[in-house]
Amino acid sequence: MTNRIALCLFAAIIILAPFVPGFPPFWIILLDNIGLAAIVAIGLVVLTGVGGLTSFGQAALAGFGAYSAAVLTTQYGWSPIATLPVALAVSALAALLLGFVTVRLAGHYLPLGTIAWGLALYYLFGQLELLGRHDGISSIPPLTVGSVSFHEPARLHAVIWGALLICGIATLNLLDSRVGRAIRSLRRGSTMAGAFGISASQAKLIVFVYAAVLAGLSGWLYAFFQSAVTPSPFNLNAGISYLFMAVVGGAGQVWGAIAGAFIITELRDVIQRVMPTLITDSALYEPIVFGVLLIVLLQVAPDGLWPLVQRILPEAKPRSIPTDAQPLTGRDMPVPRGSEILKVQDATKKFGGLTAVNAVNFGVKSGEIVALIGPNGAGKSTTFNLITGVLSLSSGAVSFAGQAISGIGQQRIAGLGIARTFQHVKLLPDMSVLENVALGGHLRGRKDLLSALIRTDRAEEAALFAEAARQITRVGLAEHMHKPAGSLALGQQRIVEIARALTMNPSLLLLDEPAAGLRHFEKGQLSELLSQLRSEGMSLLLVEHDMGFVMGLTDHIVVLDFGTKIAEGPPDVIRSHPAVLEAYLGGAAEPKQTSSTVAGGAEA
Amino acid sequence: MKFKFSIAAAACVAALGLSAAVVKAEDGVLTVGATLSTTGPAAALGIPEKNALTLVPTEIGGLKVKLIVLDDAGDPTQATTNAKRLINDDKVDVILGSSTTPPTIAVSAVAFDAKVPHFGLGPMPVTPGKERYTVIMPQPVPLMAAGIFDHMKKSGVKTVGMIGFSDSWGDLWLGQFKAAADKYGLKLVADERYARADTSVTGQVLKLVAAKPDAVLVAASGTGAALPQSTLRERGYKGLIYQTHGAVSQDFIRIAGKAAEGVIMASGPDMLPEGQPDSALTKAPGLALVAAYEPKFGPRNQFAGHPWDAFEVLKRVVPVALKKAKPGTPEFREAIADALITEKDIGASQGVYNFTATDRYGVDERARIMLTVKDGKFELIK
Amino acid sequence: MDLTILLFLVQDGITNGAIYALLGFALVLVFAVTRIIFIPQGEFVAYGALTYAMLQGGHVPGTAYLLPIFAFVALLFDLYAERSRITGTFLLRQGVEKIVVPLALLLAARELAGVSTIASLVLTVAIVSALGPHLYRIAFQPLADRSVLVLLIAAVGTHLALMGLGLVFFGAEGQKADALTDFSVDLGPLPVSGQNIAVYAATVLLIAGLYWFFERTVQGKALRATAVNRLGARLVGIRTKGTGKIALALAAGIGAVSGVLLAPMTTIYYDTGFVIGLKGFVAAIIGGLASYPLTAAAALAVGLIESFSSFFASDFKEVIVFTLLIPVLLVRSFASKHTDEED
Repeated sequence: MTNRIALCLFAAIIILAPFVPGFPPFWIILLDNIGLAAIVAIGLVVLTGVGGLTSFGQAALAGFGAYSAAVLTTQYGWSPIATLPVALAVSALAALLLGFVTVRLAGHYLPLGTIAWGLALYYLFGQLELLGRHDGISSIPPLTVGSVSFHEPARLHAVIWGALLICGIATLNLLDSRVGRAIRSLRRGSTMAGAFGISASQAKLIVFVYAAVLAGLSGWLYAFFQSAVTPSPFNLNAGISYLFMAVVGGAGQVWGAIAGAFIITELRDVIQRVMPTLITDSALYEPIVFGVLLIVLLQVAPDGLWPLVQRILPEAKPRSIPTDAQPLTGRDMPVPRGSEILKVQDATKKFGGLTAVNAVNFGVKSGEIVALIGPNGAGKSTTFNLITGVLSLSSGAVSFAGQAISGIGQQRIAGLGIARTFQHVKLLPDMSVLENVALGGHLRGRKDLLSALIRTDRAEEAALFAEAARQITRVGLAEHMHKPAGSLALGQQRIVEIARALTMNPSLLLLDEPAAGLRHFEKGQLSELLSQLRSEGMSLLLVEHDMGFVMGLTDHIVVLDFGTKIAEGPPDVIRSHPAVLEAYLGGAAEPKQTSSTVAGGAEA
Repeated sequence: MKFKFSIAAAACVAALGLSAAVVKAEDGVLTVGATLSTTGPAAALGIPEKNALTLVPTEIGGLKVKLIVLDDAGDPTQATTNAKRLINDDKVDVILGSSTTPPTIAVSAVAFDAKVPHFGLGPMPVTPGKERYTVIMPQPVPLMAAGIFDHMKKSGVKTVGMIGFSDSWGDLWLGQFKAAADKYGLKLVADERYARADTSVTGQVLKLVAAKPDAVLVAASGTGAALPQSTLRERGYKGLIYQTHGAVSQDFIRIAGKAAEGVIMASGPDMLPEGQPDSALTKAPGLALVAAYEPKFGPRNQFAGHPWDAFEVLKRVVPVALKKAKPGTPEFREAIADALITEKDIGASQGVYNFTATDRYGVDERARIMLTVKDGKFELIK
Repeated sequence: MDLTILLFLVQDGITNGAIYALLGFALVLVFAVTRIIFIPQGEFVAYGALTYAMLQGGHVPGTAYLLPIFAFVALLFDLYAERSRITGTFLLRQGVEKIVVPLALLLAARELAGVSTIASLVLTVAIVSALGPHLYRIAFQPLADRSVLVLLIAAVGTHLALMGLGLVFFGAEGQKADALTDFSVDLGPLPVSGQNIAVYAATVLLIAGLYWFFERTVQGKALRATAVNRLGARLVGIRTKGTGKIALALAAGIGAVSGVLLAPMTTIYYDTGFVIGLKGFVAAIIGGLASYPLTAAAALAVGLIESFSSFFASDFKEVIVFTLLIPVLLVRSFASKHTDEED
């Protein structure tokens, strides 16, 4: 809550500043420029800094808001305030259409795609008669609400910074919500998001539209601030400038956007003021100095300036864990104990000419722990990905509780109650352990974007966090709950992933090398935890290299080699199975039954 | 927690303070602010304008001239910010700028609100009721177009193809052509657009040539006007080619080379003051500009004339205004706005200005000469 | 529209497309090796064209002075980075690379300006491509391990600074150079100039050269290895810093060649490069920032579409060229099952 209070205080100071006697009128203009830019930059913070989607097109989206205001007030005689919902809706609609095309693009296509439509829109603005072509639309009436006019600079200033305050708080609310965590998970790729039932493309579209609405709002305000609209404020350079602000300020946070807008606007202004006193003909050198300073800034503070400021500020209080939260709804086991919950039939996966998994058959019974073992490259992780829908089967079938799940998609599979961990840990390192684990509860919550923005999601959030805290305590990491996940040892991070998967309340849990990187006594604890889960009726399928761990824990073992099942049975059968010995040790000796890994290292 | 943000807020205000050193109006000083597009796409206009401002008088009517020049990179938002800074912080008595149409409109709006006399250096539409403080130095397009259309009519041209910049300048000329074509018996048979940075105008020129116009009008500026000129000749176009006053420069001849021969251009008189009769009011200021400009900055330039002329006008109106009020006061600025209307026949390098309450361009045919290029040199068409 | 016009439009499209292809290659190359989305590529083209035009006109271009300055700053960066282990050979190599060579090129530019077309051409390519590695050292090497976004912002900063320098060195008005040759042949109704032929030849030669470089030379293979796996390349002893410099030297060289080819055909301004570069980007994006042949094909398509849209709807040419990308991206996004795992 402190962040919100701080934001209110800060905005209040800025809004009231012009009423201080002797406050230079030009500062109001500068602050307005900063405010208008910061609104767009806050949108970029969510889009780029948090969601990992780089957009150069925000200026063009702001254009939709600005032109809506200009056209409706000057040509159709609308009252200025009545144009606001239209401006926001037009920006949102434009973003929805553009987003549908662009956000599906992977990685680096996205920024380049936004450059393309950003430019196309800019050129289009300059070509349309309706929008006044290259000269744009001037003589936009001042902003009025009822009989109150905001023509007076100090008043418009209050409106701009008031809007910034609302956007800032709404964004803080958004980031601290179920939808916000889904957006934050995007940076870890769609596989992790999908494993918890988050639709990456939907989350991307939401964040894209959200950022566009903020840009549209800024554009709408700009139209009344400037009382004229031309294409040039919405060109690529402006889009680049907004991105500068988000990156230079520190792209992950609302404060970073404000800091960035402040720094970039001030940098330009200071250069314009200081340079003429140093050299003649300074105007020519201003862009050079600006470019150079930008590179210097990046090299000095590649994560942006706000994180540097944050370092000297006291640490935020950890989130309090509600004790009286309503418990989340549970899940009944889909099949009675002892009957088959997962069935893999002739599962085959080919990558080009390579057959990674070849006609593998096995099953998992409810309330049973099954291990999938085999040397590196045997196809264990691929099998996991086939079951959870990350990869599609080349042939064969997978069914869960009697229902075919091959091809229904990662999210629906997650929805059925299959949770997993990853061989390569997929946590958000700068998010706390608690928030990471709460992500696992995504499907157990319902609250959408709107309730996040206006904060009617608190009860559900409390329940989600209470559940997350319970699972963290259960896996024995309670003391680390509020630390950033990235600060934990790798072995502990694997356990965090288990807690996250448990928060989903699964009936089948898939663990990919859960014991890797754990110390001896930690393995013992893990073993106990998994046994306990089994006794509660949960089914587990795990890939593990530590034979001691596997042999002591599991009910049933499936051995893969070169994508083919070579053996299957209870631990004591597998221990002396000739084909297994052959595969692991070339038949020379029995596999060691100590805690050492048989075929350690990572699978590619 | 609250404390740390108070610190942050204080730091922000301190940073603003660094950037905003508010100036108090000084006695006996005329403060002139200018926002020009010295960088960005219109730098070819802004740089000569800035150069000319280094040559203007340092004293007018006994007042020391204090000049502040800012760059707006052709961006209306920056031009607005600059204008507000000049008016609020530097307390300018007069504001100049900007170089092209959109930012000039922006400066004009700020000047009207703040009641500060404004000399536009780019052509702009005048909004009735909001024209009191703005006068515009460059010639209005209809005046220059009339010269070109007259010449077309005399040369028996019936059909015209147009190729222009895809910007305000191109729009302005196309609009003017459509408005006046009937009067001169001209017909538009092709209307093409291109951008200054285009690497080729072959497509547009092929379409022009295919339309077989009697003449082609190129509505572009600076060296950008040379590309269609040379491509038209390369593609074998034999008809007359007309260029606007935006294109008149030594650089145009340098780039277009042989293709420039025989082109017909409307121009401001400052491009060839030598050829004018001694009686012309534009001759002396034009010669003075050329004499000051050429040794320092190279070949004479059309755009350099506009800020120079703003000072020619100031030389006339400031002494009149001084009789009513002291610089730095609103009364002085009102007095300048009044004097702009009362002073008549103000001779300058680009024309003779007679502003009225509604005619904010204030020029007549004396602001236009017609030029052609012969043997790589400009020559007057009588 | 008759056949002659069609032929002219096709020729115009192919010529421009060839230039875009060169730019597209450079962009693909830089991205693959360094992960930088190299916005300043267009500035190399403008620098190349303007340097060439000035040398041809007998002037010493500003870039000749810029090179020793850049080299000196890069030297300071290197001396600081290596301050605890400076050896004699290190100093010698640095001295040659960052003091002797740049000054020699400056001297050559002063002596040879206006002497001959060939000298101007060689000097232009030498000066502009020498800028590349120093630029990498100063602007990008300290950020080499950062995210694509940070590198992209650094690239934009570099673009702004270089464009600003271009305005100072070359002025706001455009320049045009004399053609390499007056040679021209008629193909039916269509005259094909020596300049056109030079453009096509240079594009084909550069494709062949790049192929040879990447397939047959150790350095080329090292570059490809870095492109595939940065960490892995470092583990087997490839100096990734070196590959970044080579990539930028190549990109700058390609830019300079494109500039020299363009300079006689059109007027080049200090800021022309950006727009041309963006069209190269369109090609590179369609090529997936990875495939050279696809980039070449896409570049030709961009050139042709531009040429035809400037005939049919010149007012909307830019809108058409940049909107064109959207259906392509759409097809790509639906066709590829590729998931966007973290970078």
